[in-house]
Order: sequence, then structure tokens, then C-alpha cells
Amino acid sequence: MLPRSADVALGSRASPRTARIHLLSVSSDLLERYQDDLYLVKGATGWLTVAALLVGLVALPFFLPKVGLGYLLFIAILMAANVIVAVGLNMLVGFTGLISLGHAGFVAIGAYASGLLAAKFGLPWYAAWIGAAVITAGFGFLVGLPALRLTGPYLAIATLGFGIAVYQVLVNWTALSGGRTGLPVQQLSFGIAGLTATQQLYYVAAGAAVVLSWVGYNLARSHVGRALAAIRDSDIAAEVTGVNLLWYKTLAFAISAAYAGIAGAIIAQALRHLEPQSFTFLESITYFAMIVIGGLGTVSGAIIGAVILTLLPHYLSGLRQWLPIFYGAAIILMMMVEPRGIYGRWVRIKMYFKAWPL
Amino acid sequence: MRTLTRFMLAVAVVAALSATAVGQPAERGVTPTEIVLATSMPMSGPAALWGTGVGGGIDAWLRHVNDQGGIHGRRFRFLIRDDAYLPPRAVANVRELVERDGIFGLVSSIGTANCFAIRDYMVETKTLWITPACGADVWAGMRERNKYLFVTYPGYVDEGIYLTKYGVESLKAKNIAVFYQNDLYGQQGLLGVKRGIAQVKGAKLVAQVSYEVTDAEVAAQALKLKESKADTLILYATPRQGALIVREIAKVGYQPTLMSTFTLLDPVMFALAGEAWNNVYLATYIPVPGMGDAKVDATLATLIRINPALARNPFNASAGVSFVESFLEGIRRAGPSLTKDRVVAAMESLKNWDGEVIRGVTYTPESRQGINRLFMVKSERGQYTKLTDWYTYPRKF
Amino acid sequence: MTQLAQYLVGGLATGSLYALVALGVVLLYRSSRVLNFAHGDIATLGTFVAFTLLGRKLPFSLAITGGLAAAALVGVLFFFFVLRPAKEASLLGKIVLTLGLALVLSGAVQVVWGTDTLVFPFPLSDTRVHRIGQVVVSETSLGTIVTGIVLMTLLYVLVQGTKIGLAMRAVAQNADAAQALGIPARKIYALTWALAAALGGAAGVLLAPVVYLDPFMMLDPFLKGFAAAVMGGMDSLPGAVLGGFLLGIAESVFAGYISFKFKTTMAFAVIILVLLVRPEGLLGRVYHRRV
Repeated sequence: MLPRSADVALGSRASPRTARIHLLSVSSDLLERYQDDLYLVKGATGWLTVAALLVGLVALPFFLPKVGLGYLLFIAILMAANVIVAVGLNMLVGFTGLISLGHAGFVAIGAYASGLLAAKFGLPWYAAWIGAAVITAGFGFLVGLPALRLTGPYLAIATLGFGIAVYQVLVNWTALSGGRTGLPVQQLSFGIAGLTATQQLYYVAAGAAVVLSWVGYNLARSHVGRALAAIRDSDIAAEVTGVNLLWYKTLAFAISAAYAGIAGAIIAQALRHLEPQSFTFLESITYFAMIVIGGLGTVSGAIIGAVILTLLPHYLSGLRQWLPIFYGAAIILMMMVEPRGIYGRWVRIKMYFKAWPL
Repeated sequence: MRTLTRFMLAVAVVAALSATAVGQPAERGVTPTEIVLATSMPMSGPAALWGTGVGGGIDAWLRHVNDQGGIHGRRFRFLIRDDAYLPPRAVANVRELVERDGIFGLVSSIGTANCFAIRDYMVETKTLWITPACGADVWAGMRERNKYLFVTYPGYVDEGIYLTKYGVESLKAKNIAVFYQNDLYGQQGLLGVKRGIAQVKGAKLVAQVSYEVTDAEVAAQALKLKESKADTLILYATPRQGALIVREIAKVGYQPTLMSTFTLLDPVMFALAGEAWNNVYLATYIPVPGMGDAKVDATLATLIRINPALARNPFNASAGVSFVESFLEGIRRAGPSLTKDRVVAAMESLKNWDGEVIRGVTYTPESRQGINRLFMVKSERGQYTKLTDWYTYPRKF
Repeated sequence: MTQLAQYLVGGLATGSLYALVALGVVLLYRSSRVLNFAHGDIATLGTFVAFTLLGRKLPFSLAITGGLAAAALVGVLFFFFVLRPAKEASLLGKIVLTLGLALVLSGAVQVVWGTDTLVFPFPLSDTRVHRIGQVVVSETSLGTIVTGIVLMTLLYVLVQGTKIGLAMRAVAQNADAAQALGIPARKIYALTWALAAALGGAAGVLLAPVVYLDPFMMLDPFLKGFAAAVMGGMDSLPGAVLGGFLLGIAESVFAGYISFKFKTTMAFAVIILVLLVRPEGLLGRVYHRRV
């Protein structure tokens, strides 16, 4: 699907094409040995890019107000939450080939769980958030069970039903969730001195997004990632080669749900008032659209998709009732221009220049 | 000649500089010719009806004020952002409006969840906030913090109490059923009915049947209501669901006395429910279009002249005017040198003030609840007739 | 007993709507493997067009035909100008394309017709009722059930009894082989889109007089119809009909006897249970995967 896939990476017993690339690959982007595929960051440029990104993320809260864009910090927080959901969902859809149209349900569980754990048991923020992740992972495991038998549209409907069930329970189980009146979430102290509440939340959210993306990149190239990809390509073949389907399919759901749970905890802190209307079916399909537009099966693609679909509705918001038309047209256009997602196009452009003049 | 021109130019520059330097610190969102206001509302998505109606009404009314020359030479620039009824987008919109666009005040916002989500930010930034359309619960217990908030919107609980009292005392209701929307709006109405029943003896609540705002049909609810055999049915619903339930109960041959909240005063109800919308008793806080109130009808005609699309949404458009009127009066009374605190002081001077649509607005330094009065009307052959005089309930915030 | 009968009548009426929506979903899925998330919005658009034509004093049958034709046209245009050029898109990519279409159509309906609730003029009255014993049946419910069954029968005859139907089945089974045999696969796809969209439009026209016309009226029926299609089996037309009626009846009975608050949750719970026993749906073809 991408150049970093088996036919190039495992080029030792090379076909003529891979051999030619092998000969010409002066750059670090073409893989020569299997070890190359295992490196997360390669070469000085790679490390420099990563360092620049991290410095940029740290400096953002101080840089934005300087150029009069301080209000974007809140959007950066939402973006971090969406990146986390997308990276997690991509693990399920892009890596494992399972589908979920009910991810807003997991986000909701994470949001309410973090709020309730902090309020009812007085837990510090990290404990509440980890608790929320564990609880959502548990739900992810349960939803993963039907996935052992269901595929395609059948699984889509099962997960969609889960999302709707979560919504209806939150609406009607007033004692737990506050129902449609909503659940106030207390402001958690992250203990970073000298910063406003928004800045603190930004650092925690951005930090979580970076760490969880890093975990995502690592998982993808670990034996777990290989097992998930094997399930995607053919689950029967994977089972024959010794991949435990029960374990890995439910694991994919659980990890993906835990990511959504952390994102939910961030959203709960950003809004400090939860109401089921933020977690409907429409949100679920937005998450789904993020990973497909960004590019399925790659962590970078999920990040790009989440960033674009967070910014797009905000910048179109002045269009009022015309917003859905432009938003929808933009989505159609992006998919038509690059059906493999934006990251796929980026890789193709990069490869074109690397391999030039071939 | 050239020296003279230069001298004149220099004088002009110095004068301009000193005017900005010596003049009082500029108020955010105010220039000598302009006042910037904004709102974030659901303009798309399932709740768009409210945003396009209320937001469109406010927009048209401000344009009308501009056409009359504005207020003290300043015209209004009104920014509308779409939040699709989603709290995260509402927060992002409001932050951008305050920090980038530098608005003078936020006019309304719709939905309890959205109001809760932006509340703390509005308090922190001390931004004027006029009539957020959500339950009074949002403001309870924060009297000391809401200096810049002004609300001309009724409390749902108080309305429920009033409806129940009227039903029991004047319509001889014994067994009451409530059909309500499952959200804060409907739940507070239900709470009001329960409190009303506790206050006046001789009636009981025999059924409380809810629906979700996304429900396509309400046939099951109609059968439940019929089984309750209540003699009086109180509705807390949107026009679509209200019309549906009225038609459904007529279909199954159930005919209780119908009472309803002000949202069903929308003239569209006569078209939607037809003959079933006859002899319904409703409470209201403003005279609605088509009730024979000349000022309200003239206002609506003005709105429709400016934006013909509002003809499809007359009730919400008029409500939009009622949200913003007292604020405009405050700006007028604050005088030519406009500041936030002058507007606050001017609005606190409003005592039983009547606008084009809103009636009897009073603010004090202690109370931001601009209106606390209701009256009853009855629907008869496509018309609403006034039944009672004003009923006053206690202020809460 | 009367109560149960009353719930059943309600269930049959909604069930036939679900079945019509489900048929459209299945038609598209089994021919081109596209899950069409714009199905509901195409239907809404068709209904609004019919509404406008009715306002222009066109006779009812013409106006309805116009509405269905508009829906069919949108389906065909989407197929030719979006789906065909984006051949490369994965199955999930195609889902996202239909999501984009759903947004565009829903936005267009809001901009053109507004967001307020409208009364859809219909020759049958919803408040005029027939009584069978104690059971009340409104004219529209009766009309919905009858029209639904007629349309389903027509579709059955078309697919099973005509040359075009044979071609459609052939393309659905193996598009390449069908094309090699001289069947114009592209035209058949376009026809399938038109047919599916028109069926959705029919559901919209039947629904609008009962629940009023507004831009979001198909949201819930679309999800339920989609679910019904899955329950019946995504590649089975009779399955879609069965799923639709079962879902409608189950929902109505559950709402009546147990709880209308959890009506939708229950519907999906039942579907998941059915799928756990039969992962390919009630009437879906069991196919054995090979590695």
C-alpha cells in the first residue's frame, strides 16, 4: 500500500524493480535492510524534524498570543484530542481492518468516567485519566467480541449500535450522567506553576498526543503491529500462522478505545460541562472521516486528517448555513484528488523526487 | 503655499495623534462609527431552526437600527458563527470572537450545554452577554459573578408552576399528564408542574411521558398518554413534536384539555396541527405575532422586509428581537461615549421598560433576570386571544 | 390483545418504510459494495423537490414522479462524476465520499428550503381513521403499508423477471465477467443508483405526511433502514424486506410494553444478537472465505 511495505522493505531477494531502487537509494528513505524498517526516526534530518516539532509545540502557547492568535490555543487542545482519537481509531481500521462507527461512544465513556472518578473519588488528574482509559479499554474489549464473527457492514452496524446505546444510556441514566442536564466537571489541577488553566491543559493534551502518537508509531512496527496487519490482510491466514485472533482483535479494540478514553478526558477538561449531545453518531463519522482523509494505515495520516478536520469547520464557521455544503464538497474533493489519503500523496511526491530521474 | 500645506498637514497629524492619545482608552469592539456584536448559534445541523430564526431575527433587527442611523452615530456590525449545536465548536467560536474579532458583547447563544461550556470563559473575560437562551439553572448561585450578564428569557420552572396553577384553579384539572422533551428544557418544565401540584391542592400527576428531540414519531407516547386517562395534558415540546403528539392523541380518540409552554405559540402550529390546535391554553412572556399586538406585528413586518426568509420562522425571529432590545436601549441610554460599564449602569436603570416585543424589563444591581412575568392565552380558530393579566413570579438571579 | 394489535399496526407502517430504505441500501451494496451514507439525504432532497412541485399546482402523481426523478438524478450524477473518477478509492474511501455527499445535500436542502417544519400535502389524511374492532388504522398508515408492498413487489419482478434484472444480478455477482459477456456494467451501475435513490425518495414521500417535512426527517429512518438491511443480510433483497418489517414491529412492541426511551438501543441490541447467531444476516448468503 505504501513504499514502506513488504515488496520494498524485504528487498534482499530482490525483484528487478526493487533491486533497481536498491542500487539508486542514496537517500535514507528507501529501505535497504530489514533493520531500516524498524527505525522510528532515521538520520539527522529526521531527528531535526522531530526536535523542531517538539520545540514548536512547547513554544506555541507563548508564540500564539504574540501574533494575536491566542484563541487558537483552545483549538489546539481540541486538535490534540482529535489526534488521539484518530491515531487510536486508525489502529483499529487502518491496521487491523476492523471498522468502528461508534467511536464517539468510547470518547463519551472516557469523558464521563474521568469526570466522575475525579469528582466522586477525589482522584488526581493522572489517576482519573488512567482510570478512564482502563474503563474505556474494558468497553473496547466487550465491543471487540462480536468483531470475532462480524466483518464489513455487519461490524459497522454493531459498533454504530454501541455508539447509540452509550448515548441513550447517558441521556436516560440521570443518576450517573446527569442526563440532558449535563454533568459539571471540576477543573483539575495539573500542577504546572505560572500558567493559565488553558495553557496547562494544552501542555497536558499536547503531551498526551505526542506520547500516544509515539506509542502508535512503535506499535505499528512491533510484533503487535505486524499481527494486526496480518489480520487485516487475511484473518484466516493470520490465524494459521499463529496469530491469536481472539487476543489481537479484542486488543485492537481495547487499545483504540483507551485512546478515545484519554481524548474524552481532555474534552471533559476543555468543556468542564458534559452533555450527551457532544457524542452523537455524527461525531463518530467525523472521526472515521479523519482517518480516511488523512490516509488509512499510517499514524501520520491519522494525525494529518485530525488536524484538517478540526480546523476546517472552525474556519468555515462564518459561512453559517452554507458550512455543510463547503465542508462536504471539501471532503469529496480531497478524496477524489487523493483516494489514498493526504499522507499517501505526500509519500508519493517524496518518492518521486527521491527516485528522480527514474 | 507649500509651507502652508505642510503646516496644515502637521497640525492635522498632531491633532489626530493627540485625539487617540488623550482620548479615553478605547473600549473593545467600539469605534466612533461602529459597535461589533456577535453570536454563536446552530445555523446548520438538526437544531438549525433556532439559530436561523433567532440569529436571523437579531441580524435583521440590527440592520433595521442601522438603517435608522444607528445609535449615537454608531452602526452595528453583527458576526454570526455556526456551532452546529456542539459545545466544543461554540467555545472555539466565542474565544475567537472575543480575542480576535474583539467584540463588544455576545448576543445570545442557544442550548444549555453550549451555555454551560462558554459560561466560565465569559465570566473570566468580563464580556457582556445578552440573553443566552437556556434554563435559568445556568445562572443559579452565581449572582456575584455575572455583572455583565443580562437575561430577558423566562424560567421554565416558574412557567410550569404557573401553568399548573392556572389549570387547577381555572380549568378544574384533576389528573394531569405531562408530555415533555427529554432535555433540561422539558425536565425543568416537568419540575415546575410537580411544584405547582404541590402548591395547589386537589390535583395529581398521573403520567410523565418524554420523547427525544431526534424522535421521528411519537405514536407509542400517545398510547401511553391515553392509558393514563388524564383530564389535562401539559406539553413541553418543539412545534414539530407538539403537533405530532396532538395529532396522534386525536387519532386514538383521546381528548384532554391541552395546555402548553410558550414555544408552541409559534404560528406554525396552526398549519402543522390543523383543527387539533384549537382551545389550547398557553403561557407566554411576549405577545406573539398574530395576537393582535400592533407593535409586535409591525416589528415582524420590518424583519421580513429586511430578510424575507424570516417569514417562514416568525416566532423565533420575534423572539430574537426580544432578546436584544433591552441591550440596545442600554447602549442608547449610555450616551455617546460608550463603555461597557456605562452600558451596565444604563441597563440597571431600566425599570419596567417596554420595547417593541419585550415588555416590562427591569434590571437592578442585584438582579439580572430582566423579566419575571407571564400571562395566559388561548388558541381559537387560528388566533390567540389573551385570557389573563400579567402574573409575576419571584426573581432568582 | 387490542393493544398488541395496535402496536403491530404501527410497527407494520414504520416497518414498510424501513424496508424501502433497506432495499435501496442493499441494491447498492450488493452491486458495487458501496455503503451509501447519503441515502437518507438523497431521499430528503427528492421529497423536498416533490413538495415544491406540489406547490406549483402540479397534479400529485406528477409531482411525486418529479421528486423521485430528482433523487434518481442525484444518484446517477454522483455515480458518474464522483464515484467513477475516484475508482482508486478503497471501500472505506467510498464511504467517506458518500458522507461528503450527505453533507452537501443536507446543506443544500437547508439553504434552499429553510429549516422550518413544513406540511406535506398528501391525498390521504393522517387524522381520518378506520376502526377494525378496537384497533385504529389511519389512512396514511394503510397507504404506507400498501404502497410499500406494491413497490417491493415491483422491484422483485424487475430484478427476478426481466432482462435488466438479470443483468443487474450478473453485475452484482461478478462485474468483470458480466462486462466480458457484453453487459454494459457502467449503465447497470448507474441504473442501480437511480433505482436505489428513487426507492429512498419513495420512503421520504411516504414519511413526510406522517412526521412533517424537515431537512433531518430521514436521519433516524435511514439509520434504522441501514440496520434492517444488515439484519436481513446485505446481499439479500428479501432479507431487507424481512429485516425492515421485523425491526419496525419489534421497535413498536418494545416501545409499547417496555420502554420508549431505549427503543433504538433495543433495536440495535436485537440486531447484534441476530448477527452473533448469523453473522451474514437472516437471509444473507453464507459464503466461505478462502485464504
